Amino acid sequence: MSVAIVQNKDERAVFDEVFLPHMAEAYRLAQWLTGNSYDAEDVVQDAALRAFRGIKSFGAVNARAWSLTIVRNTAYSWLTKNRPKATVFTDDLSTAEQQGLEHEGPQGARIETPEEIALFKADAEEVQHALTQLPAQFREVIVLREMNQLNYRDIAEITNVPIGTVMSRLSRGRQLLIALLGDRK
Amino acid sequence: MIESMRDNDELQMNAYCDGELDPASAIEFERRLAGDETLKAQHNRLLSLRRTLRSLPQYDVPAGLQARIQSALDADRPAQVDRPRQVSRPVQPGRPRQRSWSFQALAAAAVFGAVISSSVMLTMERYDRHEDVAREVVAGHIRSLLAPQPFDVASSDRHTVKPWFTSRLPESPQVPDLAAQGFVLVGGRVDVVGHDPVATIVYKHAKHTVSLTTLPAGPSVSDQTIAGYNVRSWSDAEFTYIAVSDIPPEDLASFERAFSEGSPAPEIK
Repeated sequence: MSVAIVQNKDERAVFDEVFLPHMAEAYRLAQWLTGNSYDAEDVVQDAALRAFRGIKSFGAVNARAWSLTIVRNTAYSWLTKNRPKATVFTDDLSTAEQQGLEHEGPQGARIETPEEIALFKADAEEVQHALTQLPAQFREVIVLREMNQLNYRDIAEITNVPIGTVMSRLSRGRQLLIALLGDRK
Repeated sequence: MIESMRDNDELQMNAYCDGELDPASAIEFERRLAGDETLKAQHNRLLSLRRTLRSLPQYDVPAGLQARIQSALDADRPAQVDRPRQVSRPVQPGRPRQRSWSFQALAAAAVFGAVISSSVMLTMERYDRHEDVAREVVAGHIRSLLAPQPFDVASSDRHTVKPWFTSRLPESPQVPDLAAQGFVLVGGRVDVVGHDPVATIVYKHAKHTVSLTTLPAGPSVSDQTIAGYNVRSWSDAEFTYIAVSDIPPEDLASFERAFSEGSPAPEIK
């Protein structure tokens, strides 16, 4: 019995060391993926419980990526369960979006003056709205890169796709965002 | 064919902005960027998008969430294991106190992050091994000269080097380009001093390489010569700098002046 207690205590200590330091980032990621603070709280709490129960599977390599992977996966299973319509995963952009990109996106032939490109004329609310409009797989790589400032390798680990896919999703996600924000001018 | 070339450009540009290109490709890309207006416009757009995204308000962890998590974990213990422990608690009065102490410490750790503890540790270590630090920094410089290139990220653009550091280190220094003063920014690398990764900015002065290693603010090491390399050190509010090069001490002194003047006031966050 005493052995069981000791083990339990150790697991708690490992959890405290591995997951807790990344709480702020975990919450930020959950907030971006779910789109609101109530869901984000639930997700982080749920993820913490999952992390605690699975702490033995922590490989002592990258605590940050390990923790955020759990948060990301928890967020998606939470969304699928509670708001099945909210999560849009598409392998390809719709034809309309694709055309939009081709006409107004960065591949258009027009070259902007420095003043035009200096700043998007969008306030925080518009940018947030544009982000929520992105299909989930584009939004998550952009959030992990820009908000959590992770490198490609960690993003690939967290989203469970090859680095090449991270690169192309980042690139397309950014093009989409630029097109969405550009439309508002 | 043209389409796939463009796609590849797009990917390269993203990787370049994210500091993920290898040095050779980064330099190659910068060369293309300089001569291609369309590419430059797209690059500016990406940077502008990044600024916009990073200026969004950050969500803060709601008060009480951590406490709720802690109690959820307490409740998650298997019942049989938990019971005897509850009973044994009064017998060991030290335990609850220990628990609340560790909770406070952890709450603090989560809020302030690893940044503070690592810099405190580094500072403490430095008192012990003050002059060892200079030797380690010189060793880093020598090693870098033996490598194919003395930097991990190659760029003469400080807007590339600075984010590259930011994405890898808890604290990163200002990266001024001092080409006008004769010190051309060529890139940056991460050195390890003690057990901690630190930012080293690499400049060229004529044919000579100058490595500028930045440590968390503390006492400067003494100016000296180690293994034929001149060492010059100074500190400001944020960092302790150690410059290493085979240029004469008086040139290192003017490098220090140039850097101190060229380094803009630290951003307040």
